[in-house]
Amino acid sequence: MPRKLLLTSVVVASVLLVLPPAGAAQSWRTVTMSRQVSGEHNLDVHIKYGAGRFTVRPASDDVLYRVHLRYDEDTFKPLIDYSGDRLRLGLDNVGHSIHLGDKDSGGEMDVTLARSVPMDLDLEFGAVRAELDLGGMDLTDLTLSTGASKSIVDVSEPNRASMRSASFEVGAADFTVQRLGNLNAQRIDVSTGVGSVTLGFDGAWQQDASVSISMGLGSMELRFPEGLGVSLKKDSFLTSLDSQGLVKRGDTYYSLNWDKADRKVDIDLDAAFGSVKVVWVH
Amino acid sequence: MLMSSRRPFLSLSFALLLVPAALVAQDRTVVSKEVSVGRSEATLHLEFADKGRLEVSFRDGSVLVGDSTVGSFQAGDALDRAWRELLGKAVSLDDGALAGMLRSWSPPADLPAQSEQTAKVVDQAIRAALEPPEAPKPEPKGTAKSSQAADTGSQSLLRQLLGRTDHLAELAVALDDVDTDHIQVHVGEDVDVGPGETVNGTLLSVGGDVKISGTVDGDVVVVNGSLELMPGSEVDGDVRLADASVARNDGTVSGDVVDVTANQQDLESQIRAQVRQQLQSELRDRTRVHEEHGISLLAPIRSVVHGLGGIIQNLFTILILGLIGAGVVTFAGTNIDAVAETARRTPGRAAMVGVAGAFLLIPVWVLGIVALAVSIVGIPVMIAWVPLFPLAAVAAVILGYIAVARNTGEWLAHSNLRFTDRIRISNPIHTIAGGLIGLMAAFIAANVFSMVPFFGFLEGLLVFAGVLISIAATLVGFGAVLLTRAGTRPEYYPTDLDSDAAWSAAMDAADHASARAQGGATEEEGGTSDA
Repeated sequence: MPRKLLLTSVVVASVLLVLPPAGAAQSWRTVTMSRQVSGEHNLDVHIKYGAGRFTVRPASDDVLYRVHLRYDEDTFKPLIDYSGDRLRLGLDNVGHSIHLGDKDSGGEMDVTLARSVPMDLDLEFGAVRAELDLGGMDLTDLTLSTGASKSIVDVSEPNRASMRSASFEVGAADFTVQRLGNLNAQRIDVSTGVGSVTLGFDGAWQQDASVSISMGLGSMELRFPEGLGVSLKKDSFLTSLDSQGLVKRGDTYYSLNWDKADRKVDIDLDAAFGSVKVVWVH
Repeated sequence: MLMSSRRPFLSLSFALLLVPAALVAQDRTVVSKEVSVGRSEATLHLEFADKGRLEVSFRDGSVLVGDSTVGSFQAGDALDRAWRELLGKAVSLDDGALAGMLRSWSPPADLPAQSEQTAKVVDQAIRAALEPPEAPKPEPKGTAKSSQAADTGSQSLLRQLLGRTDHLAELAVALDDVDTDHIQVHVGEDVDVGPGETVNGTLLSVGGDVKISGTVDGDVVVVNGSLELMPGSEVDGDVRLADASVARNDGTVSGDVVDVTANQQDLESQIRAQVRQQLQSELRDRTRVHEEHGISLLAPIRSVVHGLGGIIQNLFTILILGLIGAGVVTFAGTNIDAVAETARRTPGRAAMVGVAGAFLLIPVWVLGIVALAVSIVGIPVMIAWVPLFPLAAVAAVILGYIAVARNTGEWLAHSNLRFTDRIRISNPIHTIAGGLIGLMAAFIAANVFSMVPFFGFLEGLLVFAGVLISIAATLVGFGAVLLTRAGTRPEYYPTDLDSDAAWSAAMDAADHASARAQGGATEEEGGTSDA
């Protein structure tokens, strides 16, 4: 009961803080931009979005990027900067005021990105409801940082390139990643603050990977496909671990198929408060 | 001023628009598209593969092509609706499909006359922009091509002019107050007025070089190009340049030579200089204040007074907190025992809880207000809740800080540092006072160093260390208060049985007994005693 009360208090207070004043009219503007692929060899993409609904998808044709923005023009202004091999997209506050966002505010940002251009992708979003499909693109590096969001990241198809590293920094969020194996990343870093996090390690693993997970306060579900070799080293303070399907050797948990698995994932888990649950999926 | 300056260009554009447009099969490649639709603006921005751009904007009642106003509209009128409908279609299209759709667009037939004219200009601007740029045909030198003499080329001329939207603003400024009734227009081509030739009226060149060896009986306007006045040449009017250069070579200009862009740049330079001067003045004033402080004879005294004031202030803080600590020990001794024990045993955990608690204070307070305000019974409680909750939070912070101070005092007493042996562990008020001094030692040291010249950096470091120590002590203490519910639920039970201390005490007692026994034996043997 106290935990529920605490949670409710945080939510109510947050809502009170972010709600616009009664009667405040919003003036919506829509901006749609697109650019064709024209011989780009690589692209450094940084997308920053504060509040609203946020989607990222792979493009289906020769489009380098396509962006659809809907925003309150009294509060925000679009940030669009394409120069050479750099693309910056997002919204900036108008003036010096700090806008406390609301993921249900009505604002939206839909981005589609080229499949055929190698890119370093840096996504930074705040209070948003995010649905990201990063499958089938040519990602060489991925950084995703989110604040108070409800986010689903799906890597629906294998990444075309071998990714150097993928980093997920999650603040207070309900965060789900599906098919991490499709990222084709050598190293994956996940850092979470407060919230519920689900990491799906399914997908087509093309190389062994090391995964570093740092969890503050909350619950985490690790979903492993059968056949994937998993080692899990836990360094925790007040964290429970439901290590279903793992056996402990020394200070490390191993999956039963560890010695024979074609692809292996080393997980280093550092957790403060909360619970970690291991689930095996068919 | 702005409108009047654009009037000549508009009249020129409308005159040229009277010629019907020719259809072109191949479009320029559109590499980038931006459609922006808001309450008072609907804009289409295209970028082409050859770096050309087109922007058509319906903004705040004005219709703009590039930076030039080509007409007006009323929000929600037929023209505005037609334009927004076109942009709605453009949103989902790219490159060829987009170009085809834009080219096939035609303004609604039932527009009022003025809107119809504006729509035609927009339509022509889009069509001209989508037309592939024609390869420039080099004109034979020595022939001055007149647009008046070549009416059939006016459509192409307009397209070329609209294709240079990046220079429309300069063009409008350059044509201000220029006679446009008699004008020769050259776009994207070089002009050569040979010896003995005379141009009657204004000579306008956009995007080309002009060489005059003969006579121009009017003004010469050059935009984005160069002008060369050869010996013996005459211009019976003004020379107006926009983004252009001039070489006179002994030519004669009866009027003025004006660089309209330079005028704008001069104005910008003046504004920049004023801002720079103002900033320099402010910086000079600040520097003077610093210098005055630095070389004043009273500066050392001021530093000493300042440092002593800080020391007194910190000692006063210690005194107040010590008095509160004494009161807590007297009236809630077991509570502070429990809090101090939790802070001592699990400082990291207590600190994390302290951080979380600090973040939750305001939300919980707000939630309490909301929860109590929704019921009639709760409203009187809410009136008490509003001031009492912050007071309780402050009390919890102070209680926690004092508990940490007590632990610090005990640690200092055990540390065998100089003077710390005066702290009596058995007296909690002693340990609290010693701990408070220890926790605030960095601030006091900073005050001391602030009195010494050239030790400003050390003062800053010490203040920084003091702030860090204070924050850590506050968070650990506050967390311990929360964990123990202000000491009412002790997590650990402090015990007097310290194994090391007990062993030391036992050894001391044994030594003492042994010494006594030896003393007794000596007394018996020698019959003497040292009393």
